[in-house]
Amino acid sequence: MPPKRKAAAQAAPAPSKAGRTSALSTPGPATPRSLDSSMMSEADDDFDEDVSEAQKQREDGLGVEAEQFVQVFDLSSKRFQGKNEKRTDSVTSFFKNGERDFHYLPLKPDHQRRPLYIEPTQGLIFLERWSPRGKQATDFLVTIAEPVSRPKYIHEYKMTAHSLYAAVSVGLTAKDILTSLDGLLKTEVPQSIRSFIEEYTMRFGKVKLVLKGNKFYIESVDEKMLARLLNDEIIGPLRVHTSGDGEGLTVTTAPKMGGLVIPGTQNAAGVHQANLKAGGAEPAANEGELYATLNEEDDDDKEAVHAFEIPDHAVETVQKRCLELGMPILEEYDFRNDDQNANLEIDLRPNTQIRPYQEQSLSKMFGNGRAKSGIIVLPCGAGKTLVGITAACTIKKGVIVLCTSSMSVVQWRQEFLKWSNINPDDIAIFTAESKNKFSGNTGIIVTTYSMVTNSRERSHDSKKMMDFLRGREWGLMLLDEVHVVPAEVFRRVISSIKSHSKLGLTATLLREDDKISHLNFLIGPKLFEANWMELSQQGHIAKVQCAEVWCPMPTEFYDEYLRANSHMKRTLYAMNPSKFQACQYLINYHEARGDKIIVFSDELYSLKQYALKLNKVYIYGGTGQAERMQVLQNFQHNPNVNTLFLSKIGDTSLDLPEATVLIQISSHFGSRRQEAQRLGRILRAKRRNDEGFNAFFYSLVSKDTQEMYYSAKRQTFLVDQGYAFKVITQLANLDKTPDLAFATAKERRELLQRTLVDNEKGGEEDVENDDLFGKPVRRAGGRRGGGVRRTAGTLGELSGGQDMAYIEQNKGANKTLKKQAKAQQNTFFKKIAREKERVRTGK
Amino acid sequence: MPRVIRGTLITCEPAIKSIIMHINAENNNEIVIEDLDDTHLLIKESKIYDLKRLLDLRLKETLKVEAPLDDSD
Repeated sequence: MPPKRKAAAQAAPAPSKAGRTSALSTPGPATPRSLDSSMMSEADDDFDEDVSEAQKQREDGLGVEAEQFVQVFDLSSKRFQGKNEKRTDSVTSFFKNGERDFHYLPLKPDHQRRPLYIEPTQGLIFLERWSPRGKQATDFLVTIAEPVSRPKYIHEYKMTAHSLYAAVSVGLTAKDILTSLDGLLKTEVPQSIRSFIEEYTMRFGKVKLVLKGNKFYIESVDEKMLARLLNDEIIGPLRVHTSGDGEGLTVTTAPKMGGLVIPGTQNAAGVHQANLKAGGAEPAANEGELYATLNEEDDDDKEAVHAFEIPDHAVETVQKRCLELGMPILEEYDFRNDDQNANLEIDLRPNTQIRPYQEQSLSKMFGNGRAKSGIIVLPCGAGKTLVGITAACTIKKGVIVLCTSSMSVVQWRQEFLKWSNINPDDIAIFTAESKNKFSGNTGIIVTTYSMVTNSRERSHDSKKMMDFLRGREWGLMLLDEVHVVPAEVFRRVISSIKSHSKLGLTATLLREDDKISHLNFLIGPKLFEANWMELSQQGHIAKVQCAEVWCPMPTEFYDEYLRANSHMKRTLYAMNPSKFQACQYLINYHEARGDKIIVFSDELYSLKQYALKLNKVYIYGGTGQAERMQVLQNFQHNPNVNTLFLSKIGDTSLDLPEATVLIQISSHFGSRRQEAQRLGRILRAKRRNDEGFNAFFYSLVSKDTQEMYYSAKRQTFLVDQGYAFKVITQLANLDKTPDLAFATAKERRELLQRTLVDNEKGGEEDVENDDLFGKPVRRAGGRRGGGVRRTAGTLGELSGGQDMAYIEQNKGANKTLKKQAKAQQNTFFKKIAREKERVRTGK
Repeated sequence: MPRVIRGTLITCEPAIKSIIMHINAENNNEIVIEDLDDTHLLIKESKIYDLKRLLDLRLKETLKVEAPLDDSD
């Protein structure tokens, strides 16, 4: 069917943000598109097959291209190296054959008073924190480099293309950077670093793509730069000649932070008061004038900006071409001058105060009065959501929020309603269950990544909704937990939904696979990364004591471990009886102190065994929805339920401020992200501001097994953030614990046998496809061989006629809870519940 | 007739003993003469270098990552 194929090819969304497909080439006015959505879906019949072969190829191609591009811009590339004069002496060979010998960089006479070292081949910068100028140097480094490691005394930063890109985008020039760097360095600035900085600041951020009045402009302060672009054989002809003058460039004035005020800050409060004084009852109407007057005042020190217009469909081509020319385009959104898209009535509630670091991160985003795209990195529990909401309140246009699960969709909506004065009708949810649209002509849509990208089997409703999303322009795209989604998915999202600015939020911008590397070019530079240690000192997140507990493997377990296959090995080191004892000991100890404890285990088998043996409540993928809620509620409010066992479904997006202690029995290999996310569960502890309060994070590790290696790897991220892990080899008075589990060799052997037998067939399916609140996803295909089993016996046996009775000896604590819940109910409430039930069924 | 074999007494942690016993089993029981207790072993003197080599290899394997990581959600 040729027409269909044609449609697919045509509709394969362009990989760039603003790449417009033909059917939608002219952005319509911001009217509700629901009316003509039927027409649109006709036009884009096969839009939903967005993973067409052609696109896949294109995506692959783009991935490779981006890879090459990133490599060219690496400091270690030959262009920059080799300019340093190498000098060798007798000890040079001891420093990795001279590669790491930098003694040719002479120290300055007063080097002791300067806090920085620099490494000329990779751009690593080392900062001495104790130096009197340490604070000043930190502020400077945060702007021009990315933090690598921030423990107590010496911080490590790395200067990269991205970080310079970010520095340029906040308005620094090569001269500024070099002067400050020279002032702080103990040595001269190496030649390689000098040329690296000069080249980058020259190239990056000079050319901007600005959407003004729904027309795309290429803008630059430097006229020559634009002239160069115009003379280019690809970009030149694409220029739109507006007025009669063929050669003249549009000259406007450069934007300044000027009148823009981020709501929730001190500044905002001031402006609000000023408004009240000036405009009396109508502060909102006056805001525009206020900006105008402020801007006029600033006119003197403004630079002229040159620009030329390009057509919508050429945006992608131009972006690509500029990348080839080595001048990546910064995307900016001049939202204050955007009259085409309707304004959204949204503002932070007056009592909302954002924290200093949140303000700092946002001021980087709105540095020059326009919205820049980028990523903000804040630790779990430090109020990422509020940053996103404040950004939305600043831009005041249509917002699309993408998050990871349907539960966080609901949470985002609630947070929006809690912190801002948005009309509840203006904020809609797009998930598998509910597909609302907002009532007005603009609003907020909250949805998940999978809803937007996965479109193979889509219902009619979702399809219509997708067309709606694609058919309009969004002022801001908020990307929650950006680290979870690989770059290809982003290409797909960004290409199918058009937004003027993108803001990525995450706590852990790292993945074990390197699918994250191009996010910087897809979304934007990392705008801000918070210092965990600083936040915990200020009391925004809890102080945490981290410990790694080494549990020896008993001989019989270790023998078995050596013989086992890799899956069984995992089970065995999780079921290590010494680990069990350590866990029991820690739970007893902390319960006695009045702490609430979460125990994490990736291994389902051990999770259940531990929970049953210790008689604690547990939640895993197979736990029903009602039971989960009940368990969580009990954990939060019932003083008798202090310990909760969780499988990895609880790693993210679980908000339990009561929890203060975290014990990790088994984990996902060497995943640094999981470690950080789990730590995040206790960072938001309610009691964090109590005097001398500490949260505890224990990681139980079986000695002499692979777990030791994984554990070391997992910790690297947190160590880089400044957390110190204590190693505990012996828990004091462990033997004196009452009812210590597996104290005798016989019990241990029994446990071993049971473990081996239970896991013989490869154990249970460990795969969990949902989150703590979502619905379990049915796996296609079903379990193999789960059919009928034949046994010989009499009919009487089956009916219990042989005088056999069964009683479940080792009941889970979950069941007890349920029973209690039923028993506790007063007859009166039971009656009410019954009546309610009757009314509901009757209706 | 009594047989005389020159042996070396090894003192080690239980875990290392387990590994040595495992290596022994793979090499037709040619290494260990007597399993004394949890931390002591008597092994043939002639095999001591082989054992050291095999043990080193085994300990390195412990650090090897076996399963690939996939971080996608």
